Amino acid sequence: MANTKLNILPVPTFASLGVNYTERDISEYEIKDVTVSDDDNKEIVQYIISDTITNITVDTNVSSKLIQIFDGSSQTASRLNVTLADNARLDLVQLYLGGDLVSEIVTELKGGRSAFTADIAYDLGAGEGLDLNLVANHYGRKSSSEISVNGVLREDAKKTFKGTIDFKNGAAGSVGSEKEEVILMSEKAVNKTVPVILCDEEDVMGNHGATIGRIDERHIFYMKSRGIPEEKIYELMARSKLMKAIRLIDDKQTKIKIYETLGWGDENE
Amino acid sequence: MKQKTQVADIDRSLYDFRFDEDENDFLDSGITPEIIGEISDEKGDPDWMREFRLKSLEIYNRTKMVEWGASIEGLDIDNIVTYIRPKSRMNTDWDNVPDDIKNTFEKLGIPQAERESLAGVGAQYDSELVYHNVREEVAQSGVVYTDLESAMHDPKYADIIKSHFMKLVPPTDHKFAALHGAVWSGGSFVYVPKNVHLDIPLQSYFRLNAKGAGQFEHTLIILEEGAYLHFIEGCSAPKYYEAGLHAGCVELYVGKGATLRYSTIENWSKNMYNLNTKRALVQENGRIEWVSGSFGSHVSYLYPMSILNGRGASAEFTGITFAGEGQDLDTGAKIVHNAPDTSSYMNTKSISKSGGKSTFRSAVTVNEKAVGSKSSVNCESLMLDNISRSDTVPVIVTKTDKCDIGHEAKIGRISDGAIFYLMSRGLSEEEARAMIVRGFADNVSKELPLEYAVEMNNLIGLEMHGSVG
Repeated sequence: MANTKLNILPVPTFASLGVNYTERDISEYEIKDVTVSDDDNKEIVQYIISDTITNITVDTNVSSKLIQIFDGSSQTASRLNVTLADNARLDLVQLYLGGDLVSEIVTELKGGRSAFTADIAYDLGAGEGLDLNLVANHYGRKSSSEISVNGVLREDAKKTFKGTIDFKNGAAGSVGSEKEEVILMSEKAVNKTVPVILCDEEDVMGNHGATIGRIDERHIFYMKSRGIPEEKIYELMARSKLMKAIRLIDDKQTKIKIYETLGWGDENE
Repeated sequence: MKQKTQVADIDRSLYDFRFDEDENDFLDSGITPEIIGEISDEKGDPDWMREFRLKSLEIYNRTKMVEWGASIEGLDIDNIVTYIRPKSRMNTDWDNVPDDIKNTFEKLGIPQAERESLAGVGAQYDSELVYHNVREEVAQSGVVYTDLESAMHDPKYADIIKSHFMKLVPPTDHKFAALHGAVWSGGSFVYVPKNVHLDIPLQSYFRLNAKGAGQFEHTLIILEEGAYLHFIEGCSAPKYYEAGLHAGCVELYVGKGATLRYSTIENWSKNMYNLNTKRALVQENGRIEWVSGSFGSHVSYLYPMSILNGRGASAEFTGITFAGEGQDLDTGAKIVHNAPDTSSYMNTKSISKSGGKSTFRSAVTVNEKAVGSKSSVNCESLMLDNISRSDTVPVIVTKTDKCDIGHEAKIGRISDGAIFYLMSRGLSEEEARAMIVRGFADNVSKELPLEYAVEMNNLIGLEMHGSVG
């Protein structure tokens, strides 16, 4: 089976950096179509354990929350296609808890005042990898996107995050922001961050920010002064990155399952 | 009726004069081994350079065009004249330069700038330098500032040229680096000895007068330990309907504890394809400062690269890009951290108007050995109307945990809140807008040499028509 190009960066850049696309050998996708209308359950929980394409459409004036959990240890490719109608809203929470993952999210903010938020967290260890490509296409007037990506890389973990906010002509009054915080906990970890903004409309505001590195020395000093050993400090900070996303999940059973996967007792431990 | 605030395009009348060329001076257009051989003959290349050109041509022929960036479909290399025989030999006295060429540089203000504020000047007209001079006291300090070909033929410098020429930017780097290796001509060589500080800058000015031609100058600068130099590069061309090409190459070697400030104002006409390559190698505690203004050309690909190879080396890139009607300017910078405790700072602004497209593209790579390194990237883009486009495509790659990397970018239009505030302080709406646009560019313009800062401020002259739409 030939490799398929996945996670194609909407605007390619210097080829030597290896971020324009990734390749995977994919035999078959499981396809899931979801339309969220007013009567549906607002929080959808999905465990991604095999190659999956999820298509979700959120109807006019409807808000929904989608939780996607990647806890497999094998190679998995996922694509999430989101379409938002007028005044529709999707809050996406994604947790990457291990494995060698390729994940793409393409959100079409078609409707006026449509809104998309993404809170994404990852904790990757030895031999694990994540190639994440998120594209928010703003078509609707006054549409908004807010993307937050937090994570920890241990051992020789490799992660690429490509986040694109694309303001199409006509998306007047739209706003988009993305921010990423990466904690590197090993000298062998490799991180690539590609925060892209494409702008074909004057009346928009877009911004992105990224912070990559070790934990601020002032934080470490403060916590050490409170009697917490350094290894524990790093674990606490790593856990806080995941908790930012986990706290947004309403379903208790889902949370318990996540804590089990992570080897945590509960969120207060 | 309300009208949108208009920001004026560059007043190009200063640059759009030209003189007739004698086409007998042109080599045939296109790139063949025969033409490359003719260039070598014209220039009396040593054997190694003759072979280097032919090898570069082979690389050019087998190298694909890049698959990203602005479209260069309108550029037909087979129609580009790569070499034009000079009308005169290089001079050290303006009075010996042919009148039309001398008048060209007079209009551009080069001799006046030389008299008032420069330590030395090089002036290239089409393919070759026509004037090169350096102040006596500067020459006496051991500083060498000459054209690259004279240096290549001078026994004192021939080995230095051979050991440095296209070693930082090899012809295999990309297709237009290979083209440059094959057809280069003109350009400057600067050597600053150990601990010599040049307090006033050197300047090279590149003027392409001929239509349908290319300019392929090569700049090679070597700073020894503890040296300091500010080098200014300016370029312009009159407007033609035929495409022109600039594929120059700049190689900068910054020694231990040395500092090089490299300022460029690129003001090519809007028929030009500016596919230029610039690279600096910085040793321990050395520093490279790039100041870059991109205002002209139809299409630009320009990403000065800093390779921080010694502990404590640092790079700073300050850039502004102004893309107006018919322009697709793809600019930015690349920084590679290869050693411990290196640092870099990138600060760019871009303005798009009248259908112009501006792309900020960057790459910061922190390699395994660069422990304790820091980098900060800040880019801001201002959209002045609804038919223009502005993209930012930054990439950050980190291969060590002991680093501190920050990145921020913003795209937007002039804030209504800021206008309102300034109007509440007594300014008219037009004055408020003008102040905001100038303020947007201010931290870049203040880094430019004074005469260029004035030129840039003139460029951002606002034409106000009624109130804001």
